Amino acid sequence: MYLGANESTSNKIRSRWPVNSATIPGCTSERAYPWDHLHTSTDTVLCSICYYGSVLLGARTFMVRNWKVRSSRLVGISVAFFFLVLPMLAAGPAVSMEIVGRVPRVLILYPYDERIAATTEAGEAVRNRLREGTGGKVDIFSEFLDLTRFPEKAHVEKMAHFLTDKYRNRRPDVVIALSDESASFIATHRDTVAPGARIVTTGLSRSTAENIGLPGDVFGVFNKDDIVKTLEMARSLQPKARHLFIIGGSADLDRAWLATARADLAVLAKNYDTTYLENLTIDEFVERAARFPPDSIVLALTIFKDSTGRNFIPREALRQIAATASAPIYGPYPTYIDHGIVGGNMVTFESLGLAVADLALDAIAGKPIVNVDAAPIYIADARQLKRWGLSESDLPAGTVQWFREKTLWEEHWPAVLTTLAVIAAQGVVIAGLLVERRRRRAAELELRVRLLELVHLNQSATAGALTASIAHELNQPLGAIRSNAEAGEMLLRGETPDLNLIKQILVDIKDDDQRAGDIITRLRGLLKKRSEIDWQEFDLNEVISSAIKILRPEAERRNIIVSSKGAMEELRVRADRVHIQQVILNLATNAMDAMLDVAATERRLVFQTRLTKESKVELSISDTGCGIPCEQLVGIFDPFYTTKPTGTGLGLSIARMIVETYAGKIWADNRPDGGAVIRFNLPLVQSGCVT
Amino acid sequence: MNPVIHIVDDDNSFRTAVGRLIASYGFRVAFYESGDQFLTTLPNAEPGCILLDLQLPGLSGAALQERLAETAPLLPIIYLTGAGNIQAGVRAIKAGAEDFLEKPASGETLKEAIDRALLESERRQLEHDRVHALEVLVASLTPREYEVFSLMVRGNRNKQIAYTISTSERTVKAHRHCVMEKLGAKSLAEAVSIAERKGLLDTSPKPERRFDTSP
Repeated sequence: MYLGANESTSNKIRSRWPVNSATIPGCTSERAYPWDHLHTSTDTVLCSICYYGSVLLGARTFMVRNWKVRSSRLVGISVAFFFLVLPMLAAGPAVSMEIVGRVPRVLILYPYDERIAATTEAGEAVRNRLREGTGGKVDIFSEFLDLTRFPEKAHVEKMAHFLTDKYRNRRPDVVIALSDESASFIATHRDTVAPGARIVTTGLSRSTAENIGLPGDVFGVFNKDDIVKTLEMARSLQPKARHLFIIGGSADLDRAWLATARADLAVLAKNYDTTYLENLTIDEFVERAARFPPDSIVLALTIFKDSTGRNFIPREALRQIAATASAPIYGPYPTYIDHGIVGGNMVTFESLGLAVADLALDAIAGKPIVNVDAAPIYIADARQLKRWGLSESDLPAGTVQWFREKTLWEEHWPAVLTTLAVIAAQGVVIAGLLVERRRRRAAELELRVRLLELVHLNQSATAGALTASIAHELNQPLGAIRSNAEAGEMLLRGETPDLNLIKQILVDIKDDDQRAGDIITRLRGLLKKRSEIDWQEFDLNEVISSAIKILRPEAERRNIIVSSKGAMEELRVRADRVHIQQVILNLATNAMDAMLDVAATERRLVFQTRLTKESKVELSISDTGCGIPCEQLVGIFDPFYTTKPTGTGLGLSIARMIVETYAGKIWADNRPDGGAVIRFNLPLVQSGCVT
Repeated sequence: MNPVIHIVDDDNSFRTAVGRLIASYGFRVAFYESGDQFLTTLPNAEPGCILLDLQLPGLSGAALQERLAETAPLLPIIYLTGAGNIQAGVRAIKAGAEDFLEKPASGETLKEAIDRALLESERRQLEHDRVHALEVLVASLTPREYEVFSLMVRGNRNKQIAYTISTSERTVKAHRHCVMEKLGAKSLAEAVSIAERKGLLDTSPKPERRFDTSP
């Protein structure tokens, strides 16, 4: 909505500070300039700044980037008048300034009111640089002339009088005029307002300065509208581009700009298929933009009006066009950035402020000063570079990128480095641990194999020790079979063989054969070699009775009475039964050995099982031997502990290793009435969960 | 009389099988499952022999042999064991066992051993009978006559005997005559032989080997 805009006034303002009011957050309708509506977009920009947390360029710099002074060559003429002779009066920079016994005074003349952020920000830059340059020893005065809205000659005169009165006793030593309007004003009224003061200015181009006829002793920081450099930036980013489009609106300013651009680009445009898009409606612009060939460079000048006469804020018009454009757009104004352009060669407001402050400082110091051209810089929008797939490395040297997301590395390199180092260190540690783990696994496996081998050796040794009794036991059925067979033979030789007896003999032979077979099976079980643990669930009672069968002949040979008692119910454990049998055999043979010196009638070996409260199956093997000395109750399970002259000292330690392999525990004790008892337990397998 | 073979073995099936085999040779068989049982039912004087296992519950084979040397000296012992070794064998033979066999023994071996043992049994019986008869004869002598007899067989003259026992030579002659009569000896040599067999001549304390000396 562009209601209530004073057409000529707004044009004038725009001609100098074309879009700066757009950067005033919170600007309301009290000033009904068309661009006042732009503050919302500015807010968005501010938000994005906060969001990106960009520290490359301060938000402030960003806010004041809407500097534009170019069109004054058209409109400025109306303001330009007289004092063409003044430059002669104070030729040369060396104006002596006697500042004695006080701090220098600087008057900053703002062309508009204090709400126009662009000039305000430039003024702030000036102010900061001045304080910085003088160590704070400077008096700074600000005047907001607001002559654009009050251009009447009478008012201007009144303003001059007012200032003359105001500063009568505090004559400024330096006047800084921001923009051509302030410069004209002070050039006109310098003798009354600031007699003897040095005047510096900025915010206008050299041509404007000539047009308004600034006196020769007024120096400034001038900015130059340079579309050529913007095109050069585009060329380096898009070396393969074949088409060049230049967009301009239908307002006078727009047309003037187009004319300037035509002249400036005349040479470079020859390299391209060049098209000037002008006299189009906004819709036509948008429509054409969507059809740009991909290898196009688009230069946006200004669109204050389209061909239908509709007013625009140039950057808002540009935003519409850029949204659907099929090729990258470049422009000469910082304002355009964040409105769809890739970038361009432009001057920032702050840089002008800083430069003019430097001039003022030189003036205060009495140094000679000269006109300075503001250094435009290349500015690019990193997001647009990304959008168009343009390479950062193709940007002209010294290009400042806005909205560039710092990489994680750039932003947090110490943290990243530390993190990487920590991760690397962790990795090393983890790798080390993995290696250790692997080695431990291998060692455990090795240990397991060794244990199994050891157990097998132990089995063989037990079998060896029991050989005599096993042979004896085996001889019983073998002898019986032989005798039975021979008896049968004899019977058959008789005339009337007793067939019933022969039948009985054959039955007995079968039984004895079975018996011999069982003995051999047990022996094989005793010698069974394991390369892996054969996990089984079984009743401990069964293993005990099978062990007793193996032991009984030997026990009988030694006149030892073997008995077993205890839990009748099933005591299910999970282990390798050959190993558990070996534990029992070890403990039992040990117990039997302990009873060698005891009277033959007193030798008793008792197996007893029970179920403990902790759901463990416990077996105790007690003897009536000599017992174990109390201080050795623990040590007997150590390897190579033995009291027997022929013992290896491995039986009990192997028993412990096996029991611990199956999550059990083994310990020794003495019976109160003499003899030792060795107990071990194993976890009970809950059979309930099987069903 | 048909001899009885006593089988002492704790293994039932073996005992039965061997018993059957021996019975098939025509012998009578008696079974005992332990030494104690054998001792309590100590057989009468019937001829026979003992088949004994070395390892028995309770009283062991060797201990039983020791006891039997006194209570049943006429029964030869054949060991039949499954846990035999040289040491046990030598000890058994020294203690007077007739034979020492290892299980499983063939029927032939067993039969031979039994036959030998029965011969021995018979011999022991005869020897036992003879000694018994001599003892009866010697026992019939009066103490005075026994004195004369023991001096006479050692080659003492009547005069010496008379002097030793402080009597007259005549009395000695009369006693001597009675002795010869009672013992049924026709000459001094026969009387000496009887005395020798009775063991009266042993001056040195040699171990008495009553049964295993050849006749």
